[in-house]
Amino acid sequence: MIAKEMYSFREALAKQGVIFCYSGYMTEEVLAGIGKTLRSKLDMEKTDRKVARGIFSLFVEQVQNVIRYSAEKEPDTDDPDYDGKEMRYGLLTVGQNDDRHFVACANLVPKWDVDRLRENLTKIQNLDKEELKALYKQILKGDVPVGSKGAGVGFVDIARRATHGFDFDFIEIDAEYSYFALKAYI
Amino acid sequence: MDNIKIEATERSPKIDFNFAANTFSLSGESYPEDISELYGPVMQALKEHLGSQEGANITFDFELIYFNSSSAKILMGLFDILDTAAEDNQVVVNWHFESDDDNMEELGEEFGEDLENATFNMVPKD
Repeated sequence: MIAKEMYSFREALAKQGVIFCYSGYMTEEVLAGIGKTLRSKLDMEKTDRKVARGIFSLFVEQVQNVIRYSAEKEPDTDDPDYDGKEMRYGLLTVGQNDDRHFVACANLVPKWDVDRLRENLTKIQNLDKEELKALYKQILKGDVPVGSKGAGVGFVDIARRATHGFDFDFIEIDAEYSYFALKAYI
Repeated sequence: MDNIKIEATERSPKIDFNFAANTFSLSGESYPEDISELYGPVMQALKEHLGSQEGANITFDFELIYFNSSSAKILMGLFDILDTAAEDNQVVVNWHFESDDDNMEELGEEFGEDLENATFNMVPKD
């Protein structure tokens, strides 16, 4: 029964074209390990180098988003003075559908942050190549936005790398949280 | 100032700052776990050193394979420091990239176009 259960799980992923899947706590160690394996796999498959670089870049930005922003974390503290190790929970899939490769990530976000994220991502989605470039530079030169732990430029970078664009949406989980998913295509 | 030589890791570039010779380079990958820990002290040292130079020949070589968006912010800061130094010095910035890497080429051009005083070279390699 165990094999059957696991195999049907595997089949469900395969149906969606998923080649890599990780669900669990995302850490920098996980990023480094999966990243290395992903690169080797792309290399073995003789994936076009430009495409392979793009996939790797989408992978890094998306996983770092989960590591920094997922609302599901251990230890579960909102204490701003807490500076110890923490782990945040998320789901990553990397795969291929038809001729397009994809990198998708999903994680919980606080409900109060959904409008801001949606607005931000919709804006980015509607920019053309030149506008994305301008926004990218503007953010790099400016101050880091409030609440950002990186450069605050991650989504713009994803949009620039995703040659076939990206989709995202949210579902409500409970009074406090929504589930956020973003899938970028190359 | 003591030279800085930090070996590359899987996720961080080799940092080679020779203050006496005024030659500086970053080469390899850049998607470190802690961006400020890696770049904070070396950027500070570079800024201090360049601020004290006048009429010097300064060369900075960027030879990056991949960098993430947080590193891009650091690079923007480095270009800024170098362009300021170029007001009183001869500063040459070389951006090396693999000739088939359009993205790295494009990023180099984007960073380079803001330089007002420094000389900027795009250096493709096979």
